[in-house]
Amino acid sequence: MKQKLLNLTAAATIAVSGATGAFAQDQGLLDTIIERDSLLCTGHNGSYLGFAEVDAQGAWQGFDIEFCKALATAILGSPDKLQIIPISWAQRFPAIQSGDIDVIIKVTGWTQTRDTELGLQYSRPYFVGPFYVMSKTELDAESIADLEGGVFCVNAGTTVERVLTDYMSTKGIEYEPLAFEKGEELRAALYAGRCDAIAGFGPFLSATRVNADNPDDYSIIGEPIALEPEGIVVNQGEDDLLDVVNWMVSALLMAEENGITQANVDEVKANPPSATVERLLGVTPGVGERLGISDDWAYNVIKAVGNYGEIYDRTIGEGSRYQLPRGLNNLWSNGGVMYPLVLD
Amino acid sequence: MTRLLTSQKFRRIAIQSTFVFLIAVFIISLVVTGQRNIAAQGIATGFGFLERTTGWPVNFSVIEISPRSTYALVLWAGLINTMLVGFLTLIFSTILGLILAFMRISSNTLMNFVGTAYVELFRNVPVILQVFFWYALLTHLPSPKQAYDLAGIGFLSNRGLMLAVPELSSTDWLTLLAALVAIMIGLFVTRGRGEARLKGLIAVGLIVVLFAVLLLTGRAPDTGLLSVPELKGLRFIGGMTLKPEFSALLIGLVLFGAAYIGEIIRGGLLSVDKGKLEAGVALGLSEFQTNRYVRIPLAFRAMLPSLSNQYVWLMKATTVGIAIGYPDYFAIVSTSINQAGQTMELIALLMGGFIVVNYSIGFLMNQINERIKLKGRS
Repeated sequence: MKQKLLNLTAAATIAVSGATGAFAQDQGLLDTIIERDSLLCTGHNGSYLGFAEVDAQGAWQGFDIEFCKALATAILGSPDKLQIIPISWAQRFPAIQSGDIDVIIKVTGWTQTRDTELGLQYSRPYFVGPFYVMSKTELDAESIADLEGGVFCVNAGTTVERVLTDYMSTKGIEYEPLAFEKGEELRAALYAGRCDAIAGFGPFLSATRVNADNPDDYSIIGEPIALEPEGIVVNQGEDDLLDVVNWMVSALLMAEENGITQANVDEVKANPPSATVERLLGVTPGVGERLGISDDWAYNVIKAVGNYGEIYDRTIGEGSRYQLPRGLNNLWSNGGVMYPLVLD
Repeated sequence: MTRLLTSQKFRRIAIQSTFVFLIAVFIISLVVTGQRNIAAQGIATGFGFLERTTGWPVNFSVIEISPRSTYALVLWAGLINTMLVGFLTLIFSTILGLILAFMRISSNTLMNFVGTAYVELFRNVPVILQVFFWYALLTHLPSPKQAYDLAGIGFLSNRGLMLAVPELSSTDWLTLLAALVAIMIGLFVTRGRGEARLKGLIAVGLIVVLFAVLLLTGRAPDTGLLSVPELKGLRFIGGMTLKPEFSALLIGLVLFGAAYIGEIIRGGLLSVDKGKLEAGVALGLSEFQTNRYVRIPLAFRAMLPSLSNQYVWLMKATTVGIAIGYPDYFAIVSTSINQAGQTMELIALLMGGFIVVNYSIGFLMNQINERIKLKGRS
């Protein structure tokens, strides 16, 4: 009875918050998106450098944003049929549960709680992010143990908090944790010297370093503390949409594997080297029909944003100011862990 | 039938009960729909997660917690953090507010000017900016290695203020606290009885001597009396630390709150009818007596309602702590939402926690109001 009463309180809160209408859906979300002719995808409140940031012209840029564009193109045929909703880390789950957004593409780690209790569903990882520690160069730390007793700052409410805690307790290193709600405040605390080190996602650390007045004041310790697989998230039960997401990621990787780029996709389509590529680019039918979208979706995606490698280079890799090496996010054939699924 | 409809009493009851019924139906339908939709989405509900361990650390807590503590305990620690900074804010801002009020009504031009300038400056800048300002100031102090040395008993750096504290165990502290409470009760009970009070004081003296003797003889030989902070590697060890997050939040809230409270107190003092003060003088009371027996009692009654409001407001303002990394109740709830995902339940807990704390403040202030209000008048 008591439990029930508590449930009711919780339910009342959700109902009052106006989230009611979005739940009861007779049709799948994929059809709703097609009908709406627009995809609602996650941005960031402020900037998560390299992944979702607003450029000088006020346009969204970044690795995650490119995947939003790719998904919009796959479903609706154009990267412009996309609305980026700025959302904080904490808001992302309530927002997708209430239908304010269609998908979460926001370097979201695949955890058991999220996968089960939150009623969410993960795509195959589209990115694997190693966690590192970055400290001030003047501290001369060669390993994390050298920072014993220091202040380690992290983003509040992220998986980094847990990962760092586990790592430090396993190694028996004492430290003082300090968590900040927003990335800007975390960076400010580091630059001011409140923190001896910050722990986080490798790309985030590089971006933070590049943004400092003098990047050489900070160095990333080459000892990864953990690896987190990042997936694209949809609501439980949206299997049709999840299928499209998984095959979109796969198509981007397959394009890279086959040397198909934004520049040469027309050429390859006119003269496909293999039956698989023919299917991928919609020369022979099937690739879209099975998913409930147009057959040339993969062609449109590559034409709009390029293949996985191109996206990576442009947003966080060699072609960007963050200069992140591909590392594990390279194709399996180049020493990474990324691979396309089998397109038959 | 028509008589029933025209009966004012019946109509009143009918309208009121219909209204209550409609509200009840509205709320129940919201709850039922919400419940069904949550279930349909496969989202877990309920407060079961409170018994799970969190797995993440908290930077500052009065009670002992670790990443292996349960959500319930960590949330409780957050509420205590909020209350700690909240009640300290109320105490200090009231004291500072009192001083400001007297400066503002003083006839001394300089005092008056300083008071006015203070109020205008601190009242007109948003509290979050003030807190950011103090935090930026405190974190731009030198690093621990170049910390300011405060006569060997303390150090000031961007890691906070480290102070030497007496090396006492928690039992020692509890003994001291118990003794203090006993002394207070004794003094209260023996009010106005000179002889009994003298005996009481002798007893107190004996306790103090005994405690000191036990403290000096009963401890391990090589422990000092004072725990002095010492730089070791990247941090100070020993003593106690006032972290910059805590200090910045407290300073910001106190300085901001004092400007408002000062104005409330000033308003109260000015609200006392001049005629009543003159009546006091006419009765032959001295200026001090007029203030003590006429002005302050009347002013206190006048300012109590706005003061309660301000106290509740300040308690809620502690939530800006999240912006500078102080783990108050709001920050802990926010992190928990992200980590455990039970948004609705946690927001309900957040609201519940603040309602309990603020209702208690309101209740206490109402009790005081009840006690001191002018009897026999409405």
